Amino acid sequence: MRTVLAPFGFGLAVLLGTAPSALAQSPSDFTSAIRPIMERSCWNCHGEAVQLSSLDLRTREAALTGGDYGTAIVPGRAEESRLYRVVAGLEEPAMPMEGDVLTDVEVAAIRDWINDGAHWDAGTTTAAADAVAALEGDELTGARLAEAREYWAFQLPVQAKIPDISHLDHPLDRFVEHARRDKDLRAAPRADAMTLLRRAYLDLIGLPPTPEQTEAFLADTAPGAWERLIDRLLASPHYGERWGRHWLDVARYADSSGFEHDRDRPNAWRYRDYVIDAFNNDKPYNRFIKEQIAGDELDDASDETRIATGFLRAGPRVLFREKDNPERRHDYLDDMLATIGRGVLGLTVHCARCHDHKFDPIAQKDYYRMQASLFGFIETEYPLLAPAEAEAYRKKNQEIDAKQEALEEEVAAIEAPYRERMLLARLKEQFPEHVQRAVAKPESERTPGEQLLAVQMLSLGVPQKQVDAALTPEDAARLEELSDHIDAFEKARPEKPAMAEIVTDGDYRYAPNGFGDEIVGCPECRIPPDEPGSYRYEGPGPYKTPPSYFLIRGDPFSPGSLMSPGFVKVATYGDPPTVIPRPDGRTSGRRLALAEWLASENNPLPARVIVNRIWHHHFGRGIVVTLDNLGKVGEPPSHPELLDWLAVAFMERGWSIKAMHRLMMTSEAYRMASAYEHPENTERDPENRFLWKYRQQRLEAEIVRDSIMTVSGGIDLTVGGPPVFPYVPEEILASQAHGTWRNEPDGPAVWRRSVYVYRRRSLGFPFFDTFDLPDQNITAAARNVSTVPTQALTLLNNPFVLRHAQLFADRLEREVPGDVEAQVDRAYRIAVTRLPTEKEAAIARELVDSGSLVDFTHVMLNLNEFLYLR
Amino acid sequence: MKKTFWSRRSFLFESGGGIAGLALAHMLDRDGLLAAESCQAAVEGNPFAPKPTHFSPRATAVISLFMSGGVSHIDTFDPKPALQKYAGEPLDDKVEGNIVVRQGFPGPLMPSPFTFQKYGQSGIEVSELFPHLATHVDEIAFLRSVFGRSNDHVQATYEMQTGQLRMGFPSVGAWVTYGLGSESSSLPAFIVMNDYRGGPLGGPNDWSAGFIPASYQGTLLRASGEPIVDLEPPEGMTPERQRARLDTLAKLNELDMEKYPGSSELAARISSYELAYRMQGCAPEAIDVSSESKETKKIYGLDKEVTEPFGRQCLMARRLVERGVRFVQLFHGGMGNQNTDTWDAHSNLVENHRQHAAESDLPIAGLLTDLRARGLLDSTLILWHGEFGRMPISQRGVGRDHNPGTMTVLMAGAGIKGGQVIGSSDEFGYKAEEQPISAHDFHATILHLLGMDHTKLTYRFNGRDMRLTDVAGTLIPQIIA
Repeated sequence: MRTVLAPFGFGLAVLLGTAPSALAQSPSDFTSAIRPIMERSCWNCHGEAVQLSSLDLRTREAALTGGDYGTAIVPGRAEESRLYRVVAGLEEPAMPMEGDVLTDVEVAAIRDWINDGAHWDAGTTTAAADAVAALEGDELTGARLAEAREYWAFQLPVQAKIPDISHLDHPLDRFVEHARRDKDLRAAPRADAMTLLRRAYLDLIGLPPTPEQTEAFLADTAPGAWERLIDRLLASPHYGERWGRHWLDVARYADSSGFEHDRDRPNAWRYRDYVIDAFNNDKPYNRFIKEQIAGDELDDASDETRIATGFLRAGPRVLFREKDNPERRHDYLDDMLATIGRGVLGLTVHCARCHDHKFDPIAQKDYYRMQASLFGFIETEYPLLAPAEAEAYRKKNQEIDAKQEALEEEVAAIEAPYRERMLLARLKEQFPEHVQRAVAKPESERTPGEQLLAVQMLSLGVPQKQVDAALTPEDAARLEELSDHIDAFEKARPEKPAMAEIVTDGDYRYAPNGFGDEIVGCPECRIPPDEPGSYRYEGPGPYKTPPSYFLIRGDPFSPGSLMSPGFVKVATYGDPPTVIPRPDGRTSGRRLALAEWLASENNPLPARVIVNRIWHHHFGRGIVVTLDNLGKVGEPPSHPELLDWLAVAFMERGWSIKAMHRLMMTSEAYRMASAYEHPENTERDPENRFLWKYRQQRLEAEIVRDSIMTVSGGIDLTVGGPPVFPYVPEEILASQAHGTWRNEPDGPAVWRRSVYVYRRRSLGFPFFDTFDLPDQNITAAARNVSTVPTQALTLLNNPFVLRHAQLFADRLEREVPGDVEAQVDRAYRIAVTRLPTEKEAAIARELVDSGSLVDFTHVMLNLNEFLYLR
Repeated sequence: MKKTFWSRRSFLFESGGGIAGLALAHMLDRDGLLAAESCQAAVEGNPFAPKPTHFSPRATAVISLFMSGGVSHIDTFDPKPALQKYAGEPLDDKVEGNIVVRQGFPGPLMPSPFTFQKYGQSGIEVSELFPHLATHVDEIAFLRSVFGRSNDHVQATYEMQTGQLRMGFPSVGAWVTYGLGSESSSLPAFIVMNDYRGGPLGGPNDWSAGFIPASYQGTLLRASGEPIVDLEPPEGMTPERQRARLDTLAKLNELDMEKYPGSSELAARISSYELAYRMQGCAPEAIDVSSESKETKKIYGLDKEVTEPFGRQCLMARRLVERGVRFVQLFHGGMGNQNTDTWDAHSNLVENHRQHAAESDLPIAGLLTDLRARGLLDSTLILWHGEFGRMPISQRGVGRDHNPGTMTVLMAGAGIKGGQVIGSSDEFGYKAEEQPISAHDFHATILHLLGMDHTKLTYRFNGRDMRLTDVAGTLIPQIIA
């Protein structure tokens, strides 16, 4: 177990403290031969600044004591000494971890020195401050910065000239055709109207069109029918449900906290609805980002923008004994940085947590500057009331808390003697004699071991029921009176208003006790009670962010320099503020500055990242395939000029996502057929990178379920609100100790759209899991598509699917009673937006004739065509 | 075993109808008996088809026995006579650093209430809790110095299962399946069985695929009801009707394929229905132990109430491995009352460990015996461990708290030299002392035995080639020797 050294902020003093003692026995060897090797290759990580793996190689005693992996040196026996073995490559991990390997001469020197007894001299070690500075790495400046910016993604996007291709009007088509010509590829023809209609519906709202919607579209023969269709779909409230879900993948959204206890987040859905509304209202993307990062700091902050900060806290949390495990806060910050990095910047910023980024020019300092920008964060419940009312609500509750507390103390005092007596009785009944003896002795007579037992025993509880049963009539009466008082106060509590789970600035060190925090396992981790402060900032004077430090090798217990806020330098143009002071002084303005930078036209990444994501969802493959990584190990863009043209067009159109849908969907590229074979094309571009046909895509888990319910007619299209809990077999729920699932029987009440299904971290909804639900704990890029037998089993045997097959059959019987031929036609129109061919109709009728209509409707729900967007 | 939807005969007969366009003839045995081999015939388009190893493997399958709650090494496989000497004394003045316990306050040192005895040619000591497994000591390597980083059940379980303390990382079974595919085309490649009392803490994340494709996650085989979710059609669906539906589906999908002749994805989806159909027939057969001989059932303890549940699962594990399943993960101890239904002996070490050892000792010994008898032990890697060890100090004189400082892990099969003790804990059993072994070292060694270099089994995610062993992992020399 790790011994917690010091609270954050005190570490540096420890680090720069006293010089080590040293032994002087054989100075010549050490000083001339060994010391230079140690300084260069060992002490950076096992010296004064840090002792990785708890190993300190500065002194002989420390080296003999060793670290987590045992002793480093066995004097006189080099072959058995770990230090020698790792530098000689005889044992992993080979050392030094960084820098050049030792020369043969140096390895031999170490060997001889150990065989001679491994003696140190007395001397000064490298100045600790220098060591720290060296470990923190260099700034990216001057020529190195300029060189780093030669990489395309770090340059501000500019629009190249649209290729001159006369027979195509649409700028996107000209770029795409230009690339095709380059590869000698021939574009597929336009898909038929029904295919396009279905494509637009599934793509924009995630529901197949009804036969009536199909007829209406086909009836509109005036020019502009396609554009009008797109506008209609963009105006649908179901658009936000579909496209908001894409963002919720980025936001690693879930309704529970994860880990062992997987606690319910009863108000998390408000953030989910915020996202859906933001898409429906075409909230400009730059504003959308600002609200999610700093919704509490905006000049026009509102309930809505505060709810948006749920983005920051949507990741997993342990929520048990957090105060004894202060290092976890760094994991939570890392989760935020990884999500912002991959989600908004398309960069793996989190890779710079322990060292400079291995591939991209992201310094470890960049990471800790960005961490400092977020470092003030606290997570709190926020009443959705007018400010004055909210204040009144809080005050009233505090008053009641105080009064109840006093009464509860009195209750405890009355119960105390009973509890003591019963504890002794329990002790006698349930514990061995030596334990009883230890408790019975006066403290002064106990052995140290008995004292430990006694302390353990005295923390044993007694069931309330037993206490109640033993009370004297007087005590019982008094307690009842007290309890009535407490209840009366409880009744006087104001009704709990709607709450949001938000992030704002505060001081995490004063967090109210959470689960398990009542036991103090790590006193050093706690803030001393006499140091004034509060969790939510309460003034007076302006708020100050608690200090945060560069962490050497990412180790929370090895703090380096104090960090000030900042951004990823290579992507920072001009001199944007890193703090935007707030007039009310209640928050730091650091997150607001970060948000401004993340949503800035002067940042080369965010616009590219989001237009690439939009492109991916429309076309089934991003211009950059790695949606979350535009860095050097990401895939290079297939159409770099198009990507930049789109990014600029996006910003020029006010960061409007709906404008991008219109732009992309009105291109011929979007309207190509997917059913198109062309052997030469296939040979030249087997993956269809250069868009010579439309890419068919398997529907996502949620859309498969939504489509099934739409086709059956059973779907409830209510928008928004608390999550629903569709039926999960009891055995599956019973196999887990914690976590919320208010199981409801399969039926209309839970046939809501899948975006409203409760997301429980410890248990993915089985239907979704089967169809490649991404891990909900980390920001997700493109979803994986697998084709496995369990998907077939689900669609064949799952009672929900079969029930909707039945509903689908009932619907056909209702809409076209008794006429099998018409029923088959209608089933095709409903499920796959077309009429069957004669062959298909004959096969279908044969099945119905040999069995029943539901045989056929069930088959429809299993068709490849039904499961794909084409 | 509850009813299986497909009797052997009807499965055979129905298969004869065939999914249009897909030859199933190779599955059929003309004598009308469906042999297990039929379930093993290869299927084109199987997403889990076997993949080449990096080098010649020592074993081709894994059975991992996870003792949920944390087994006390001191009371089972790592005797500490010194605790007699120090009984009742504090530990903190004898070791470095703070003593951190999970619950309440640290107690004094407590010797094991169980007696130890030497077994086998190797003379390795085992406590009275495992009299049957003890007769196998010469087949088992005992790793007495495996340490973890967390004293929370869930994080510690994640570390043993995924190498990381956090959620969202692929489990060992998922990595192995991703690296090797599966020998079976009729059964899931990676199968998980929970204790009859419920799942382990941490839930499905203990066998998740994390960031690698979801299809590599473990498939949960349930103790009651249908063994795999949605394996069997609901009441009222006859085999004939399902067959008719499948035939029609295949015909319509074939017509659709004419428009997309080059799409391997659509072809794979058509195949997946054949695989699913076969799984319906083959999975119940694979786990149906009723055909096993009386003697076989007896060596797993199926004839005794206390050993029946875990014995059945061990026997099922053998059947699955025999049929080509790559990785079988069993959990012993599960949800319910944490202190009594798992190995989590906070409040009554004697009763708790007696009960759990009694439930699992004979079945595990039986598994080793049976695998050996069938010639499968050398090609199967057996792992046995919990999420952490337990403290040498007591909780209120009767229990032991969590101790990630050291635990004992058992490895057998895969040609591993048995009868050896690897590493050691300190004289109290408080921390690993000689040759400390991390989860990464353990995982690297597992992959090595399966023919994979842990530094080369990677998945590109998050801008990095991710590994089961992160950036660490040292092979345990005595195991791979």
